[in-house]
Amino acid sequence: MSVRIEFLSANVLAPMSSDEKVEFILKSVRKDTILVLEESLSREEEKTLITQTMKSITADFPGIEVSTLGPGYDDLRSRLIKLLGGRVGGLTVVGPSNLVKQVKRDPDKIRLLAGK
Amino acid sequence: MPWRHILDWFRNLFGGRKTFSLGLYGNVNTGKSTLANRISKDWTGEEMSAVSEIPHETRTVIKKEKVRIKAGGRELTMNILDMPGIATKVDYRDFVPYGMSVSAAQQRAKEATKGVIEAIKWLEHVDVALVVMDSCEDPYTQVNLTILGNLEARDIPVIIVANKIDKKDSKPDKIKAAFPQHEVVEISALKGDNIHRLYEVLGRKAR
Repeated sequence: MSVRIEFLSANVLAPMSSDEKVEFILKSVRKDTILVLEESLSREEEKTLITQTMKSITADFPGIEVSTLGPGYDDLRSRLIKLLGGRVGGLTVVGPSNLVKQVKRDPDKIRLLAGK
Repeated sequence: MPWRHILDWFRNLFGGRKTFSLGLYGNVNTGKSTLANRISKDWTGEEMSAVSEIPHETRTVIKKEKVRIKAGGRELTMNILDMPGIATKVDYRDFVPYGMSVSAAQQRAKEATKGVIEAIKWLEHVDVALVVMDSCEDPYTQVNLTILGNLEARDIPVIIVANKIDKKDSKPDKIKAAFPQHEVVEISALKGDNIHRLYEVLGRKAR
């Protein structure tokens, strides 16, 4: 059994709006891809991701497993850094729940168990 | 956010808030409805939500309005909002082992997804939030982090409830270690253990 994992630089997501980012993530995940993003999602984006996932659920796509590390972009410092074109860092791992059996945060480490 | 404090200051100036809304949030099956029933029964004599071992029993926001409580030396009136559990996945196949037919399980899953969306929408509209966690489970779930992050961003007072302390494998200290920025109250909603402590903290947190 093979598992497709894509590691994405923050540069790929930088030009996207929050909605576009969530759409991009869900599109990839629905194609049985596990994404590792070089940034944490904002709390608003996490909320949107869960909402959009719920709207996308079918018998073949029961949802996602997701875990983020990092500041969450919502504090003033992070917003300022972002506004000035800098990167706040962090990490997001997201995959389809029928492929990702378990994601555990530990709390500065993410462990993922995948398989069909 | 400063505007929230300014609004609270004006409310206090003109006699205080009449009623506040108390939202119960958390992952699926952490005991939110059991706690909602405990609070409701303690102060009104009647329960408000159905409980079940099958996940996603609460699939719409259940409200109990104008519940008057005495807490922390204050008299408060609140609307209790028992929220559907928030999840990142809903698989109808998970319900079938509980004896449900496939069509009933699919219907439950459909309703559950709507419930999650409704609960998330309400995140912006509660005045105080009880984030209910199962103290036997890992607290570092994305759902917990997302709920807390969004409540913090809106400066909504949060009380973390470490539930199910009556169970042998309960580890409420893990929750305290995971979220040191929040007040954690250890309770058993089922048995009523330490519930008076929750009311004390609520009396302090409710603006």
